[in-house]
Amino acid sequence: MDNYNNYGSGGGGGGGFMPGETNSPSGGKSGDRDNKTLRPVTIKQVNDASQPYPEANYQIDNADVANVLIIGQVRNISSQSTNITYKIDDGTGEVEVKKWVDSATADNMDMDGGKPPGDGKSEVKTDGYARVFGAIKSFGHKRYIGAHSVRPVTDINELHCHVLEATAVHLFFTRGPPGGAGAGANGAAGDAVMGGADDYGAGQNRALASMSPLAKKIYNLLKTEPQDDTGLHMQQIASKLNLPATDVARAGEELLGAGVIFSTMDEQTWAILEY
Amino acid sequence: MSLQTPRILPAHLHAFHPSSSGPRSTHTVRLLGTVSALHGDTATITCGGNGDVTLILKPDSHLQMGKLVEVIGKVADLEGGQGLGIRVLGTTDWGNPADCDYKIYEQVVEATHRFKSVFYDAE
Repeated sequence: MDNYNNYGSGGGGGGGFMPGETNSPSGGKSGDRDNKTLRPVTIKQVNDASQPYPEANYQIDNADVANVLIIGQVRNISSQSTNITYKIDDGTGEVEVKKWVDSATADNMDMDGGKPPGDGKSEVKTDGYARVFGAIKSFGHKRYIGAHSVRPVTDINELHCHVLEATAVHLFFTRGPPGGAGAGANGAAGDAVMGGADDYGAGQNRALASMSPLAKKIYNLLKTEPQDDTGLHMQQIASKLNLPATDVARAGEELLGAGVIFSTMDEQTWAILEY
Repeated sequence: MSLQTPRILPAHLHAFHPSSSGPRSTHTVRLLGTVSALHGDTATITCGGNGDVTLILKPDSHLQMGKLVEVIGKVADLEGGQGLGIRVLGTTDWGNPADCDYKIYEQVVEATHRFKSVFYDAE
């Protein structure tokens, strides 16, 4: 019995995740790990994708792309022992797609007499359309897509949908989310990082909305008044707003409680908490 | 640059004609339509509610009546001054036209030309 209990608690203690590791604000620039997006793109976008520095992630419309999705016509298939190379053309450009042959499947294929267990449907043919899901890679100066999956497309609506999706995602990254009342439309909010910051801003505004008028006044003063990074003292705020210190203290408590400002030098000196 | 083949509707044919003004580098386009007539070395496709286009076929073109086809070809003058047609380079059979919502294709053409930088190089 004792053994079981020890084992149980030991297991419980050892498991779990490391707090803090996942708590970092999602700045969006912290590498591949945070970016597991699968983005529909055209082949022109793949060929135009830029790298800020060698070995960096590829970027399309200034946003990192991890995995991409393309649909195009297969112009050539060449089977090698370790991979199958497809040449894909979607009317906007051409790109090579390499699909590594899974050794386990390859072994099975040998046993089946070299033929994949073909059901006809899952076969990609020359001049047929294919949907490719993979990552942008390069070898020397040649760009290719390292494919996770290559499958045939038989419904033309899937092709058209893909084209429209690629356009919509492009517009998202260049103009911001739809319905943003033109907030992001002026180019500056051109990437996901800015989008994230905007969301935080909205969150703060929402927190402020439910506060007393005086709290809002203090918040705006802290925001607009020239100050060093220690912020403003309660007495300064009181004199600038011409208010009794007790009222300012109460409103300050409100703002501190909501986490939109924080105390710096001492309990009575506040600055806006910016993310 | 690799070959780019813009998706178009019959109304856009003239813009891709070799003689059209402007230094357009490509005259090769993609069209989508239903095969509505076959006459030996030519054929006609009907592009939804956007009119018909005459195709000048290759000897090895195999089109079937009533099928939805995507045509890649060059804009060309038809014999006898019958306007513009397409000299076929390749066709893809998409099966039953009823399985395709042509309205979506019209939107695709619209989107690819309005947001050109995603799809085609500047000319």
